Amino acid sequence: MADLSSFTRFARTYQPGEIIFAEYEPGDSFYLIQAGRVKISKIVGDLEKTIDILQPPEIFGEMSILEGAPRSATAQAIDVVKVLEFNRANFEVLMMGNPQIALRLLKLFTKRIWDQKRRFMILTLDDPQAKVADVFLMLAETSAAVSTGGEQEGEKREFKVTVEDVAHWAGISIQEAQTVLGHFANQRRVELFQDRIVVRNISDFSRFVNSRRKK
Amino acid sequence: MPKVASYRANSVIYFQGDVSDKIYVLQQGKVSLNYTDIENGKDIHEVIQTGEFFGVKSALGKYPREENAVVLSDAQVLVFTVPEFEVFSQANTRIIMKMLKVFSNQLRRVHKQVENLLEKSEAESPEAGLFKVGEYYLKNRQYSSAKYVFSRYLTYYPAGRMAEQASRYLEVAESGSVKYGDGKGPAPMVAEHSRPAAAAPSPAPERPERTPGADLDGAAKDFYDAKSLFSQEKYKEALSGFKRLVESNADPEYTMKGLYEMGRCLFMLQQYDVTIKHFTQLIQSYPKHPDLVDTLFWLGQSWEKKGDKDRAAGFYKKILAMEGDEDAAVHLKAKKALRALEEAAHG
Repeated sequence: MADLSSFTRFARTYQPGEIIFAEYEPGDSFYLIQAGRVKISKIVGDLEKTIDILQPPEIFGEMSILEGAPRSATAQAIDVVKVLEFNRANFEVLMMGNPQIALRLLKLFTKRIWDQKRRFMILTLDDPQAKVADVFLMLAETSAAVSTGGEQEGEKREFKVTVEDVAHWAGISIQEAQTVLGHFANQRRVELFQDRIVVRNISDFSRFVNSRRKK
Repeated sequence: MPKVASYRANSVIYFQGDVSDKIYVLQQGKVSLNYTDIENGKDIHEVIQTGEFFGVKSALGKYPREENAVVLSDAQVLVFTVPEFEVFSQANTRIIMKMLKVFSNQLRRVHKQVENLLEKSEAESPEAGLFKVGEYYLKNRQYSSAKYVFSRYLTYYPAGRMAEQASRYLEVAESGSVKYGDGKGPAPMVAEHSRPAAAAPSPAPERPERTPGADLDGAAKDFYDAKSLFSQEKYKEALSGFKRLVESNADPEYTMKGLYEMGRCLFMLQQYDVTIKHFTQLIQSYPKHPDLVDTLFWLGQSWEKKGDKDRAAGFYKKILAMEGDEDAAVHLKAKKALRALEEAAHG
C-alpha cells in the first residue's frame, strides 16, 4: 500500500456499528479504507440488503463526484474502521501524491460508466418483458466480468437477486416485475425462489432481448 | 515496454465488441472512434488527437470495446498492455488525473441520461428516502443508526415535511438507546404492540390546525431550525435561535418549548449556574410544562456537575416519586443517575 502517513489530517475513525453515511444523504466526499471492514447496504422495502462488504484498500462513496446526487447506499463500520476522507478540496493533493489510489479510482470509474451505460440500455427497451430479460443478461455479463470459468455450466444461470432488485434495475414497479416474472415462470423460462432467481436458458433471453432492441 | 505499431489508412485497430487489454496512444496520423450514441442513435465519429490515449476504459475494465477504431490516414500508435500502462501511469500522475476528469465527466453524463429515463418511474425524493431509512432502523431497534439518520434529516431538512416527526423519532431513538441499547427492547412504532406509547417520552402535542405534510412556517420553522443546530452540537447557535424564538413570542406553544430547549443548550454549554436559574424560572412560570420531568432531570444534572450531590439526588428522587410512566426514558435516566451517585457515596 502507498505511504499515506502524510495524509493523517484526512484520516477518520469510526466505531463498530457507526454509520459513515446513509442512503439518500447528500454527499461530497469519498473514502479509502485503511483498516477494518465496511458494510454497504440498502433498505429495500422492509429489509436491509447487504450489497457488499469492503476492506482495505477499497474505495467507496466515489459516486459523490456526481454533484447533488444522493448516496445510493448506506456505509456502516463493521469493525473499528480507519479511512481517508477525500473531497473536492483535498482530492488533487491526495491523488497527485498517490498515483496508486488514482489508478484504482480510474478503474472504479470505468466500471461505473459501464454499469450506467448498461443500465441505460435496459431502460431504453420499450417492453417490460424485454427489460426484465435484459436485467438478467446484464447480471450474467457482470458476474462473467468478475469471475471467469462459469461457462461450462451450460445455459442455466442462477442469480442471487429478488423481485425488488429486478424491478429496480429494470426501472419498473415491483408489481410489474412480479407480473413479468410470473409470466416467465409459467413459460418455464425462470424459476423463482425466496433468495434467488434461476434463468433456465440465458441464450434464449439474449435472443429475445436482441429481437426487441431497436436497430 | 510499450511497442510502436503502424496502421495503414482505412484499416481498423479494433472493432466494437472485441475484448482486449491493449491501450493506445496516437503518435502520428489520424484515427477516428466510430460508435452509435446510446441516447439518440446517431453515428458519432470522434477524431483522436495526437498524444491522446484511446481504448483505456474497455481495457482497464475488461469490457468489450464500445467503438470501432478506424485509421483515417496512415498512423503510428504506441501500444500498452494493462500492466505496462499501470507502471507508466505511476510515474505520470498527471495523465491519470486528466483521465479521471474525463471519466468523471462521462460518468456524470451517462448518469444524467439514466436519471432522465427514470424520472417517471422512481419518484422517491431523497428527503422521503432518508426519512424511510431512519424509520427502518428505528423499527428494527437499531437506535444509534436511527439517531444518526434522523439527526442528519433535521440537518438537511430543518423545515422539511417530516421534520416534526423526525424530531419525535429522534427522541424515541435516543430514549431507546438509553433504555435498552441497540437491538433490545420492544419494537418502537409497531402499532399493534402493547407499549408503543411508553417508548415515546412526552411526544410533542399535535397541532390539529396544521395540515399534515404542509411546510412548517414561522415559529415552528424557527424552532426546528434551532433544534437542528442543537443536533449538530452547535449549541451556541441553537441557543441564540431559541432565544430569538422566545423573544418574538410569535406562538405561545413554541415559546414554551423554546424556553425548555434554551435550558438544554445552556447545560451543553456547561453554564450550569445559568442553567439552574433558567430552569428554576421555567418551572415557576410553567408549573405544568410538558417537559417538566425532563427539566427536573437537567436541574439534577446541573447540580451534579457543580459537585452538589445532595441537591442532585434530591431532584432525581423527586422525579422517581412523581406519578407517571415509570418506563419513560427520563425516569430510567434519573434512576441510573441516582444509583451512580449512591454507589459513589458508598464506594
